[in-house]
Amino acid sequence: MGDSATKFEQLIAPFETQTGIDVTVEAVPWDSVNDRLTSAVASGKGPDVTQIGLSQLASFLKGDALADVSADLAAYPNLAESNFPSAVASTALNPSGGVYSVPWIADTRVLFYRSDLLSAAGISAPPKTWDELRADAKKLTDKSAKRYGYYIPQWDAPLPVTYTWQAGGEIMADGKIDVTSSAFTKAADHYLGLYADGSVPTASDFDQTTGFISGSVAMLVSGPYLAKAVAEQAPDLDGKWSVTTVPTDASGTSLYAGSNLGVWKNTTNKVGALMLLNFLADPATQVAWYTSNGDLPAATKAYQDAKLSADPLVKVYAEQLKDARLLPVSTKWDAASSEILNALNKIAVSGADKAATLKALADKVATINAGS
Amino acid sequence: MLVAIFGLMPILVAAGVSFTDLDIGGLAHPETVRVVGAANYVQLAGDPEFWSAFALTAGYVVVGVPLITVLALAVATGLNRSDGRFYRLLRTLYFLPAVTALVAISVIWKYMFNGQFGLFNWLLDLVGLPAVNWLSDPGSAQIAVGLVAVWRAIGLNSIILLAALQGVPAEQLEAAALDGAGPVRRYLHVVLPQIRFALGFVVMTTLIGWLQFFDEPFVLTDGGPVGATTSLSLFLFKRGFRLNEFGYASAGSIVLLVTIAAVTLIQLRLRRAHD
Repeated sequence: MGDSATKFEQLIAPFETQTGIDVTVEAVPWDSVNDRLTSAVASGKGPDVTQIGLSQLASFLKGDALADVSADLAAYPNLAESNFPSAVASTALNPSGGVYSVPWIADTRVLFYRSDLLSAAGISAPPKTWDELRADAKKLTDKSAKRYGYYIPQWDAPLPVTYTWQAGGEIMADGKIDVTSSAFTKAADHYLGLYADGSVPTASDFDQTTGFISGSVAMLVSGPYLAKAVAEQAPDLDGKWSVTTVPTDASGTSLYAGSNLGVWKNTTNKVGALMLLNFLADPATQVAWYTSNGDLPAATKAYQDAKLSADPLVKVYAEQLKDARLLPVSTKWDAASSEILNALNKIAVSGADKAATLKALADKVATINAGS
Repeated sequence: MLVAIFGLMPILVAAGVSFTDLDIGGLAHPETVRVVGAANYVQLAGDPEFWSAFALTAGYVVVGVPLITVLALAVATGLNRSDGRFYRLLRTLYFLPAVTALVAISVIWKYMFNGQFGLFNWLLDLVGLPAVNWLSDPGSAQIAVGLVAVWRAIGLNSIILLAALQGVPAEQLEAAALDGAGPVRRYLHVVLPQIRFALGFVVMTTLIGWLQFFDEPFVLTDGGPVGATTSLSLFLFKRGFRLNEFGYASAGSIVLLVTIAAVTLIQLRLRRAHD
């Protein structure tokens, strides 16, 4: 569970005293989660409870690693679906039915902007629409001062999808990924347009935290971890930056990221595991975890807590979470997402022919759709 | 027996898996794994990403093997000039890259190459030259990643060659000098034949090293930008361990294994013919 094993042990200490259950916590770095998953699936030996990054949920489901807990949920009130945002409804999380995981941490993407740089450029409010974003980004770009108006992380696979949603379309329908819809074309144009304007850095190793702090980039879309990094590394920048909901086109839908918790299929202690999940989903536990580790709660009620509602950043995150969606839960998506990103970056950065590259992408995605 | 278990078994298993469609679902339910015959190999043959990784790896072999061999030989020859303290210090310095932990050192290289705050661009800026996007321009990233690998390989190989050079009897060199051979002829006709075996070893291990080229692009660029530094091994790693396509990745690894075996055999043949 990231590098936070000690903090997590503190978090569940009350659970251990209440129930007498001794919980062993093991932190697995995100980079090695997939290795651990495959060896656990191959050997049939896993933990009782596991954290699942939402982007890896499809692999867990395909590996048939998790237990279906739909029949048990009634006994654990904190795990009821109504406690969580609709983005993580069980139908979205479990495309083939059942309930194989419950929400744990929420995470979303919002627009970060340097208010000092915006007002210096005569921009009074952060952009609310795609068109405003492009215009503002262009205005803020000053090559002689090595400043870009906006930043697109070239490794950000969800980005083209959120653009497609914002353009009013779907990336996946009936189990097929669609990169030929008008919404996807619009999304690609938006992505490529920002590059064509010269408003974004083309370097793939551009560091967004350093870039935002130094002012090399005035605006970007990122998650709460950026806010944490900026607050820690550059406390003197306080008051010169802020966040707001993402710029809209047909909609202002952002990404719902974060992680869930699931019970391992071969567990010998399903009841204990579910009790732990119930404890962790308790709004009070979720607030405690936000306080100690900074992760946003998945439980909607937790946002009513004074600690969270007092934080203006959390207010924006909570607002954005109301209009945030999951990436398609499908292993096809894992294969297709890097193809989509590669195609767009080839056009934007290496100057590949747009029509030909997008046609090749459509062919590749068709092959992926046809696969098992 | 041990060789059979730890050496041969994994290869046989990979060969077997390469004829199936094994993925993570298949691990959970082995009964759903289908034998697909040569389908994975057919797919490989038609996969442009596989071929671009293959071509990139071949390019590194063609440029990298002579480059490392010549540079390592040059360094070894230089170090062989004296046994003084200064030269012993130099020897240690040249050897250092070979004993550093690659991942740690790659992180340092990554920072030095960084376009925003890297050492190299800072130096370029000092002398008034424009910045270079070391790791984010496809062409320069291929060079940068290769440079780190060359830097790392020279240390060990020059020590191997140095040891061989020190085994060249001084009497022979003196005799050749008395017979009127100049320094170049002495080097070509006395020194090089004496270190032939070490040279052959360096060429072969370097060749295999480049064919399996993985660590540097994995840490420095993760195969990017837009796949420009995805070597064959990295391509296989991504398909196998990121996308869990075990069958497909196994097929690719068998192709790589056969390639390495073929190239090594050809080299051995050439050497034998030469002898």
